[in-house]
Amino acid sequence: MSQALRLTAITILFLLVLNPVSLAADNAQEDEPVIDVIGKVVDHDYLELVGGAKLYLPRIFMVNGEWYLFANTQSAVDTGEFERAEEGLGLIRSDGETISLDMSITSHLMYVWFGLILTLFITLWASRKYKKGVGATTEPKGISQNLFEVFFVFIRDDIAKEYIPGDKHKKFVTYLFSVFMAISFMNLFGLLPWGVATTADLTVTATLAAITFFITQWNASKDHWEHVFMFPGVHPAMRIILTPVEILGLFTKPFALAVRLFANMLSGKIMIVCVLGLIFIFTDIFGPAVGLSSSIFWVGLTALLYILKAFIALLQAYIFTLLSAVFIGMAVEEHHHEHESKVAAATDVHV
Amino acid sequence: MGFLAAGLGAGIIAIGAGIGIGMIGKSAVESIARQPEAAGDIRGAMILTAAFIEGVALFGAIVCALLALNITV
Repeated sequence: MSQALRLTAITILFLLVLNPVSLAADNAQEDEPVIDVIGKVVDHDYLELVGGAKLYLPRIFMVNGEWYLFANTQSAVDTGEFERAEEGLGLIRSDGETISLDMSITSHLMYVWFGLILTLFITLWASRKYKKGVGATTEPKGISQNLFEVFFVFIRDDIAKEYIPGDKHKKFVTYLFSVFMAISFMNLFGLLPWGVATTADLTVTATLAAITFFITQWNASKDHWEHVFMFPGVHPAMRIILTPVEILGLFTKPFALAVRLFANMLSGKIMIVCVLGLIFIFTDIFGPAVGLSSSIFWVGLTALLYILKAFIALLQAYIFTLLSAVFIGMAVEEHHHEHESKVAAATDVHV
Repeated sequence: MGFLAAGLGAGIIAIGAGIGIGMIGKSAVESIARQPEAAGDIRGAMILTAAFIEGVALFGAIVCALLALNITV
């Protein structure tokens, strides 16, 4: 069994190595040796499969309350009702009407689903095992369950218990663990040859940050809101300045959360494409001999960057989870009526 | 002009982030040397603070990339 697995793995690896070579040969026939950096980063209407084949994804539109469903972009254009926009994924109506809702399934969305499905699968698999008693009454069995437990205990003890005070952390462990797993998978998909790091899209990270934001505000304690609007111990006139600042602060936290993850993953992608692109730039300027010999250096550097990217993928998932826990912890914290004395003291001073 | 701005901006970002993360690393290593038993806690705090600095630096980096690639958002 394990031998068969190993054999398949090696075959797949061989295919992966051989394929870029043949693709490069195909591209060389075209006149423009342009590397499309942005094309590697933006959303597409297809999934790239092993071998460079493209699986086109369905497009779903709503125009004035009417739904349109097409198997792919080309079939939408073929009907004559839609036209391709000048750039990007967008389609425009031929008769000039605006598309009110574009619910098209894109490659980034597909990879979000892959990440979520994998997370769901792993957690359901583990929970079934624990319900059976393996790990709950006995020791955890096998590599996968032990690995699962390492991650889970890490999230629970080092993140949730550490930053969310008291018994309240139990409520949030599930969210923190699932968001950690999902972001890890979404980041790591970007390391696959035809995979897409879907977290290099601001809409994806913004959605994740918005979930954290709503969970934080929904579970916020009375003291949290008191600190936003009332400011115990501060002169009432100061509220004019402090309340807007605090309200702004509520929104900058998830904003920073989203942009941090997005920028990290995007810069990793662009870095690799740029470093590999140096080979072609050198060939263009100094001729093929210099380009070819310098490629040893650039490929080595890319390999190092790749390892760094794998590390960053897990680190950013950790940081997202950690900061979510910190924000939730700050919001659910209850102060033990230490304010009354402070308020009294403050009013004494001001009166 | 956009290229010049992007290049200069990226350099300044690198300086700022380098100073910031260097200072974190310096004080973290010093504190670990002084109190080796607290190494785990210090490392956690170090990564968290470095992440904040990195976030700010990457805001700038993204702006530079948008300038250089001439994308209008």
